[in-house]
Amino acid sequence: MPGKDFLALLLKVGFNRAGLVNYTGFKSSPYTEGALFFGEKLVDPKAEAVITSLRAQLEEPQKIEGLPGRSG
Amino acid sequence: MASDFTEIEIHTIREGIRRKYAEVAQGGPGCCFRYPTGKEGLIKLGYSPELLRGIPESILASFCGVGNPFSLGPINPGETVLDIGCGTGVDTLVAARLVGPQGRVVGVDATAEIIARAQANLALTGLANVSFEVASAEALPFPDGEFEVVISNGVFNLLIDKEQALSESRRVLKPGGRLMLADMVLVQELPKDLAAKVENWYQ
Repeated sequence: MPGKDFLALLLKVGFNRAGLVNYTGFKSSPYTEGALFFGEKLVDPKAEAVITSLRAQLEEPQKIEGLPGRSG
Repeated sequence: MASDFTEIEIHTIREGIRRKYAEVAQGGPGCCFRYPTGKEGLIKLGYSPELLRGIPESILASFCGVGNPFSLGPINPGETVLDIGCGTGVDTLVAARLVGPQGRVVGVDATAEIIARAQANLALTGLANVSFEVASAEALPFPDGEFEVVISNGVFNLLIDKEQALSESRRVLKPGGRLMLADMVLVQELPKDLAAKVENWYQ
């Protein structure tokens, strides 16, 4: 799995301050490289609820008011 | 995120991983990987002599990690740490020294043979704040909020349901807990014929 996809999973499951911190240059094959990831579980459950809600909104397709619909 | 693999393919992958790491449990340094392992691997990955102090050479020789999760931040005295996919237990023992006698470290691995090797390694150290058990990263046998830190080294790339394993990692962390993870990621697309091979998952 590419690093950006793994990072997206970290964010999806709810890690805060999630990051692909760096690639290490370590190669086990021509197709792969070592990478370091960090994530943190939020301290405040209320803040977590807010972030979960915002993430859900961001994943919804955005409607832009006033934009004419396409026809044909 | 479940995979597109069939049940038979999932079984084949899991059995292949089990066989490979059972071989690792029995093998000496460099038995099973195409990259530097053992003490050479540890040095290349930036483990400082201070981190490794007190761990017998015979244990360091069994290291087969792909990165240095300890470079991601401190692990403090008194903390509880879970090492997911602990292998022969080198990182688990490093963490045990960092948390000290007031802390606690648990190593889990899905392969029974490698847990037996980790337990044998532990017996050489005399450390009393470490335990090892057979468990799947996708179904961790711990209550919510058990650990301050989850570490892992070269394991998630082998897992079929990475999302479930990450979700489990987060579940067992206390609020404010940290995930410190080293792994291999794809940096270029696999050739189609190679990607199509189930065996490629674990070789």
